[in-house]
Amino acid sequence: MQENTAAPRRGALEELPGDLMMWVLIISELLVFGAGLAAFLGVRITDPDGFAEARTHLHPALAGVNTIVLITSGFLAALAAEAAMIGKSARLRWLLTGASLLGVVFLLIKGYEFADVAGQGISTETHPFFTFYYLLTGFHALHVVAGIIILALVGWKCSERNVEVGTAFWHMVDLVWVLLFPVIYLLA
Amino acid sequence: MRNPIFRAWVLLVLLSAASVLGALAVGAGVNEHLVGSLVLLLAWLKARVILSRYLQLWRAPVWKAGFNWVLGIFCLVLLGLYLAPAISS
Repeated sequence: MQENTAAPRRGALEELPGDLMMWVLIISELLVFGAGLAAFLGVRITDPDGFAEARTHLHPALAGVNTIVLITSGFLAALAAEAAMIGKSARLRWLLTGASLLGVVFLLIKGYEFADVAGQGISTETHPFFTFYYLLTGFHALHVVAGIIILALVGWKCSERNVEVGTAFWHMVDLVWVLLFPVIYLLA
Repeated sequence: MRNPIFRAWVLLVLLSAASVLGALAVGAGVNEHLVGSLVLLLAWLKARVILSRYLQLWRAPVWKAGFNWVLGIFCLVLLGLYLAPAISS
């Protein structure tokens, strides 16, 4: 009889890097924001000129800077996950601190932008464009706040698994932003 | 440039800069629908980089391909909704 020496085949779910529940969360968030963006462009069909005019009240350059800030923060978080794998806890804490601080910079810029738009007398009821703008970017900003708290927690309790899960949440925030940013700020 | 995460970051910065510059080109007379399509294509490419390198889906090629396909279809839906007013007028 021949002995079966082949390694057991891994299931599809086991191939996913990190925690399965984090992927469930990532997919859920993508669906929520994806539905919001599709609804945004769907409503735009009824008033493309109004949406184009409304967009002129935003700051695409500032949002572009915020994109660089967030993807750089994601870069530091990815390096932190790498450091966690080789057990460099001091390095990973510094990297997570840098990622969190860039998250704070993102929020400060976003706060300035919200204050400026609100200062123009624009509210959620001014135009459907701004209903979606406040809702989608505000909800995303809340995720950034949650992400900063999570990065602080995993920096404190820095096991490899915690860092992997915490940074995955942060990358999800990143991923949502790279889809939000062009649709809301750039599509003329 | 050896670290793939660093390469991913450079690529994301370049793609983001290209998006903003593309949007600015509308003011210089470039067709806005062409630019809009390009901006959505760049968004899809950025999402692919984040999924592959930041979220490490390069370790799971089947999942990576699945995510890329679904996000690609989603971006096509967004493109259709974006172009709908121009097509219907």
